[in-house]
Amino acid sequence: MPKSIPLLQSLRCRLIVSVVIIEIVMLSILVWNNISIIKTTHSDRLKDTANSMLQQIANTSGSYMVAVDYASLEDYLKNVIDYRELVYLAILDRDDNLVISMGPFPDKHRPSIDSDPTKTDDKIFDIAKDITVADQPMGKVLVGFSLSLMQDAINKSRIRGISIAALEIILTIIVTIVIGLGLTRRLALLSNAAAQVEAGNYSVSIPTDTCDEVGKTAMAFNQMVAEVSNRTQLLQQAESRASTLLKENRQLIHNSLQIQELERKHLARELHDELGQCLTAIQADAELIKDLSTNDKRIETSATAIMDVSSRVYDVVHSMMHRLRPGILDNLGLVEALKDEINAWNSRNIDSHCELNYSGELTELDEHTNITLYRIVQECLTNISKHARANKVNIQLDNNGTEVSLNVSDDGLGFNINNTTQGLGLIGMRERVASLNGTLLLESSPTQGTSIKITVPLI
Amino acid sequence: MRLFVVTSCLFLLINNVSFAATNGSCKTLSPITFAILPFVSTKQLVIRFTPLVNYLSHHLDADIRIETAPNFSEFTHRTVETNRYDILFTAPHFFPQAHDAGYQLIASVDSPGMRALIVVPKNSNIKNLNDLKGKRLATASANSLATLLVKKHLTEHNINPDKDLTLITTPTHDASLLSTYHNITDASALMQPPYAAASKQVRDNMRILAKTHRAPHIPLSVSKRISKACANEISTHLINMKTTKEGKQVLKHNRFSGFQKVNLEKYEHFKHAILDK
Repeated sequence: MPKSIPLLQSLRCRLIVSVVIIEIVMLSILVWNNISIIKTTHSDRLKDTANSMLQQIANTSGSYMVAVDYASLEDYLKNVIDYRELVYLAILDRDDNLVISMGPFPDKHRPSIDSDPTKTDDKIFDIAKDITVADQPMGKVLVGFSLSLMQDAINKSRIRGISIAALEIILTIIVTIVIGLGLTRRLALLSNAAAQVEAGNYSVSIPTDTCDEVGKTAMAFNQMVAEVSNRTQLLQQAESRASTLLKENRQLIHNSLQIQELERKHLARELHDELGQCLTAIQADAELIKDLSTNDKRIETSATAIMDVSSRVYDVVHSMMHRLRPGILDNLGLVEALKDEINAWNSRNIDSHCELNYSGELTELDEHTNITLYRIVQECLTNISKHARANKVNIQLDNNGTEVSLNVSDDGLGFNINNTTQGLGLIGMRERVASLNGTLLLESSPTQGTSIKITVPLI
Repeated sequence: MRLFVVTSCLFLLINNVSFAATNGSCKTLSPITFAILPFVSTKQLVIRFTPLVNYLSHHLDADIRIETAPNFSEFTHRTVETNRYDILFTAPHFFPQAHDAGYQLIASVDSPGMRALIVVPKNSNIKNLNDLKGKRLATASANSLATLLVKKHLTEHNINPDKDLTLITTPTHDASLLSTYHNITDASALMQPPYAAASKQVRDNMRILAKTHRAPHIPLSVSKRISKACANEISTHLINMKTTKEGKQVLKHNRFSGFQKVNLEKYEHFKHAILDK
């Protein structure tokens, strides 16, 4: 199963949070903009109404002011003051003395005149206009308009706008959660299926009941899993065949080596039994001829020559027999055979010295183990004399009762294991060890010598 | 010699002080109300008399303001009962009451006098005063000068204005004229100056049926609040208007030939001739 995703990295969480943030920001801008427009509209409306009313009052009041007909003026103003947004109304004469006022007009502390309803210092929009008749100043009219109605309308619009925005945000959250859950649930199915495929379960299949992007991805995933499953099966079959072939090949090699050793052994015996006997008979006859040829010097010389040649042939045959199958191995055991081989190697490589150390019971090893270890030592020494230029070679042979270990090490040139292709000799050694179910470990590096450690189980 | 110099200096000083007192005497009384009888609409009054008031304000170095009243009755009431107005420009038949209330005559419009007219539509069947019987006659108001003059004129021609015809009261002389022009009334009684000031189109479609006797022209008087020096100053500037270019322009705007000194007896006589009957 896939690991649980941290909340902040969750696609679902990020999707919902992103949409909600965008919604909140955009709707806030929208609401702010709407409120601003509403505010401006109401403000302009009030301004227009106020100016229109002010103009009308100023025009009408002029005649009353000239005629000092304040009673008629008051009657007229009584009709005007009924306007619901009007707080006060005041008429001043040319000397700024109050003539008529209606509503709570602050005569002692007259209000400052406002230019804009949104820029008042109190809740009243105070405006004024000169009363003129034929361009002659007759006084002034002051009017105060309440902003509470405008503010109420703005507040209602604000509450309505915020409510709609909040509702939209809630709906958006719900829709986003539903869509997000649907989307991420199918993505989670994909993720789980991928995890099962990773675990080796190629039978997994994702429902592809939708035709959207995720559905197509699921279809592609299913096809991919089927393809991977098919190829994995083919690969497993190929691996199985290769393994079988390797096993058979290895068995073949082992059999071949075994047959080779048997053949060598048989050949050595044949050489010993047949050719050796013949040479011995030739030599005996030659000695007899030599003894009988007392008067004839040429016969004697020929008999001596035959004896020499037969002796040389014997030596050659003996040497061949030794290489094919050292008789000492069968007669005296592995340790003695190795000693003999090492002595011969030391005598041939006067610049090097090989030394054998051993421990444990080594005389009871079976013939196959003996010849294998012997051949490995033989191969190692051949390689050392050919390539290593070693001064000192150490061979350690031990039997701890459960396994036999052989360690051949030298202080020669060594080599880089990774850069060097394995020669046939090393391959042969590995196969011989493998035929005994043993292990071979090669250690070497340039100028650091080489060490080969072989372990063969006895059970 | 020394006595002569001292005497001369004192004379000059006294003379200067007197001159200064005379020239600046109205300024201390500011603001001064210039009241005009509402014989036309308020706006027309302001348009017509603003140059005159500005002229006086400028030359008297005082703040003079136009004022009127909603109607003749209120104007008379404010004049007689409260002495509200400082300079009074009222009809000649209202002046005696004002004078009794303390207003002093300082000048009048320089003209032989004002007539009232009876006008009818040009194509009207009314050819003489007798034809007015049973007709509707529009007047400015019951106590307007035009009404008084026309009533007197009709009476002199054996027509009883209160019985032989129907008097229709309108707010102003203009309204009276227009009511006839639009055939709402059969004839209109109004003063000659407002008729002369009416549009040519209206006048071309009207016909003057009768002209009354002349009444003295409009008097200008001042209230008791106005000092004698200031009253003299106002009178002097009014009478001298026709001698200056600026004054002539103002007079032309008002359709006045000028202002003149006038004898109070002229209005007393008019009072007895018209009002007491």
